[in-house]
Amino acid sequence: MKKVLVVDDSLSVARQLEKIINDSGDFICVGHAKNGAEAIKVNHTENPDIICMDMNMPGMDGLTALRSLVVLDKEVKVVMVTSLGGVGDKFTEALKLGAKNVISKPFEADNVLQILRAL
Amino acid sequence: MPVNSGARIFRHHTITTRGSDMAVKFFGQFLVEKGLVSRESILAAIDLQEQKNLKLGEMGVSMGYITQADIDRAHNAQFSKDMKLGDLLVEMGILALNQLQEIITRQKETHLYIGEALVLVGALNSEQLQQHLNEFKLDQAPYVSDKIELPAGVANSKTWEMTADLTYKMITRVLDLQFRAEKCQTVNQLGSNFMMAALDFSGDVEARYILSVSAEVQKMVAKAILREESVEGESVEILEDTVMEFINVVCGNVAAKASQMGQVININPPVTIHPPAAGLPVPEGHTALCFPIHVGEGEKMELFLLIRQ
Repeated sequence: MKKVLVVDDSLSVARQLEKIINDSGDFICVGHAKNGAEAIKVNHTENPDIICMDMNMPGMDGLTALRSLVVLDKEVKVVMVTSLGGVGDKFTEALKLGAKNVISKPFEADNVLQILRAL
Repeated sequence: MPVNSGARIFRHHTITTRGSDMAVKFFGQFLVEKGLVSRESILAAIDLQEQKNLKLGEMGVSMGYITQADIDRAHNAQFSKDMKLGDLLVEMGILALNQLQEIITRQKETHLYIGEALVLVGALNSEQLQQHLNEFKLDQAPYVSDKIELPAGVANSKTWEMTADLTYKMITRVLDLQFRAEKCQTVNQLGSNFMMAALDFSGDVEARYILSVSAEVQKMVAKAILREESVEGESVEILEDTVMEFINVVCGNVAAKASQMGQVININPPVTIHPPAAGLPVPEGHTALCFPIHVGEGEKMELFLLIRQ
């Protein structure tokens, strides 16, 4: 089963994603970080296969964390889960920095799992 | 059609309910999210666009109207003047207004769109492009703006009309609530309510987006965001978080729609406000727009836009 780390300052989004991930049968949620800096720490301790990360967070934002994560961990696959997915510049920047995909909020469980399974 | 006309009292009936795609997207993102083109293909297409689509200054140089030195001078002047490059070049007497219009027209005429770029890099053929474009238009049809009337004299009115319209659409699509939207008014005081969630816009516009909710509406929002039948026993923190997350989703989609309109809107993380019973004053130098939203039997939400003048 693939391990997934959820990074979002919103408790309710973290809860939604955790439920989708744990109910899938293919993935297990191994942690929740509330901003980019915490994500880098938890990635180190939990060693997830996939990170689902928001962009707009207080403290270190998602794109800044993505820059560091792709350097620190060549194996982890990062998917941005964000309400800013439809902003062309943000989408392009995320992919250029190494994100594997960008999921827009609001999302549906099926869509999230389809993208995670395709990684 | 005015917002408060009878024909759209319950907007719920005019909009498709939850589907697999509920967000404002641009075509490239739609294709990657659906797995119709790979991440590598879209990056190659974006690279091609960046090579082919000249910026305003580059196009001006290629048309022989300005030099690189002119652009450098204008860029330096931009540090002290908050103006777009083209307008500044005109103000500095470097470019005539008709030349600026010619440059912009040439940019539009020669613009390589992401779909065309994907065909050029071999990721799609023309038939697939047309088919996916049709699917995309269908997907995004619910996000084409309806007409909302603002009081006269509000700057950037198209942006604020779009913001209110997207808020209404997300109330329907994300929260699955029926509501009646009352006509927008300018106010001197933000009326009180159980709680407010607020989020700041910066970039081409400066404003604060505020959604106030009653205790009952807060529970309705929480049920929809958490996808739970009941939210009894949930902590105050999580109930408030769901309202913040709802406005985060709305405002992210507002930023996406604004970028399609050629406008940059950056959003900050949302915050919670507990307003005093007397409400909140409108800060100096701001215009406050209020959009009352009646939910169910006697429950109230209000959208406020505090716009810096």
